[in-house]
Amino acid sequence: MIKARNVEKIFTGRGQVVRAVDDVSTDVRKGEVVVIIGPSGSGKSTFLRCLNGLETFDAGHIEIDGMDLADRKTDLNRVRAEVGMVFQQFNLFPHKTVLENITLAQQVVRRRDRAAAEEKARKLLKKVGIAEKESEYPSRLSGGQQQRVAIARALAMDPKIMLFDEPTSALDPEMVGEVLDVMKQLAREGMTMVVVTHEMGFAREVADRVLFMDSGKLLEEGDPEHFFTSPREDRTKLFLSQVL
Amino acid sequence: MLLALILVLFAAGMWGATKRIDYSWRWQRVPQYFFYHSQDAVKAPADATVASIVRKQDRTTVVLALENAGREELHVDSDTVAVTAGAELFEGDTVGSVGSWHFGPLTRGLWVTIYLSFLSGILGLALGLVTGLCRISRNFTLRGLASLYVELIRGTPLLVQIFIFYFFIGTVLDLSRMVAGIGALGIFAGAYIAEIIRAGIQSIPRGQTEAARSLGMSKTQTMVHIILPQAFKRTLPPMAGQFISLVKDSSLVSVIAITDLTKSGREVITSSFATFEVWFTVAALYLVVTSLLSQLVFYLERRLAISD
Repeated sequence: MIKARNVEKIFTGRGQVVRAVDDVSTDVRKGEVVVIIGPSGSGKSTFLRCLNGLETFDAGHIEIDGMDLADRKTDLNRVRAEVGMVFQQFNLFPHKTVLENITLAQQVVRRRDRAAAEEKARKLLKKVGIAEKESEYPSRLSGGQQQRVAIARALAMDPKIMLFDEPTSALDPEMVGEVLDVMKQLAREGMTMVVVTHEMGFAREVADRVLFMDSGKLLEEGDPEHFFTSPREDRTKLFLSQVL
Repeated sequence: MLLALILVLFAAGMWGATKRIDYSWRWQRVPQYFFYHSQDAVKAPADATVASIVRKQDRTTVVLALENAGREELHVDSDTVAVTAGAELFEGDTVGSVGSWHFGPLTRGLWVTIYLSFLSGILGLALGLVTGLCRISRNFTLRGLASLYVELIRGTPLLVQIFIFYFFIGTVLDLSRMVAGIGALGIFAGAYIAEIIRAGIQSIPRGQTEAARSLGMSKTQTMVHIILPQAFKRTLPPMAGQFISLVKDSSLVSVIAITDLTKSGREVITSSFATFEVWFTVAALYLVVTSLLSQLVFYLERRLAISD
């Protein structure tokens, strides 16, 4: 489903050159849940954003469902329509109601008619547990509710892959659970997911595979059982001892 | 309380000042320059005999049997009928008259000012939107052109621009005064609106664009559905200020002999000699237009605030 080969992303600024993503290669199979963990600034978010072309990369190849992102001829809009993304800051459209947030892209990108888009939106709102808020504006919702709307918005496009960029980091602690529950349900339904998170419990419970990144490099990967109990690298051990 | 006191003192001072220069106020002369009533005589088109007079309340129909055969119906106001049935008339004799109300120069001038401001506002908005988008474009040429336009317009006086537009561009392209006036004002406003729109677009968080693009929306769709509606809301207050300025700046086009409110005021003064009264009236009319405009924007702002 996702094939990343020797991906490299270099930021330059103020005379400094930073390898945000340094020679990262990995594959994600259909239906697999991959969790990326690592300290702040390790390039995990940048790598995630490369996967749907929000961030360009300087070397290497990324293939999403057979579409080559490095190829200039690839229509990135088509790739992005197949890859849902959920952001740390939700990024709901504040001038649109919850329902409109979910129907807009369906109508303008998928060309669905209004009725079909609304039906889909209501079904998804029910699924994420906030059916009664459809005519509210995002500013009236709690963080957890906003993030669930954002998940519904991404799901409305019927994506083949869902990317989560620290979806619970901006939430008050009591709201983290409701968002993680929705994500767990998605994982059980067989959605292909790549999740950047600091929620080790989630990684342990839901992930099929855990990737550990530090200073742009993919240091270690493995199934969560192995990863959390007997990591190979010293850097991983240090990190895990700090967060667990 | 204090405000009222200050206003009373101010009014008293004004009154005292005009007393000193011995100015006699003639406010009663002003209304006729808004609306006036005129009686236009209705005359017999040829030698004729009055065949019949039919009175219907205020209007009366006088039927004339013309000398060279044929009939002619004339309509006049009932209280002005100057003929009796059977009377013989010569060509040009007055049968009666018709009174009607007309707009005076101040009303017409006000209309021209509104019309001028409205059209140049639309032009300015269109130019400003395009230029604003060019200013943030990645294309170097577009960005350069847009900056050049904004700098040129903001760096020169509007009065000079109006002269250049009318005497140079207007002559080359053979434009009427009105088109030249609208063009000059619109281009002037466009430069300022471009900066307002650019700032508005740039004030929208990056996450909005990223969210829209990650849903597969194109750049244009993102701009139209996500960025511009939010930017519009944020730019309303400065935009309102710009349109109010535009209404006031439109007074400058009187220099190329467009009979707008200001020029009408000058013309009215030459015939009424009520200098102070007319200028105060003209100022009040501008004030009415601009405060209506700010009320409209206030209303829009409140309507758009529901999503906050």
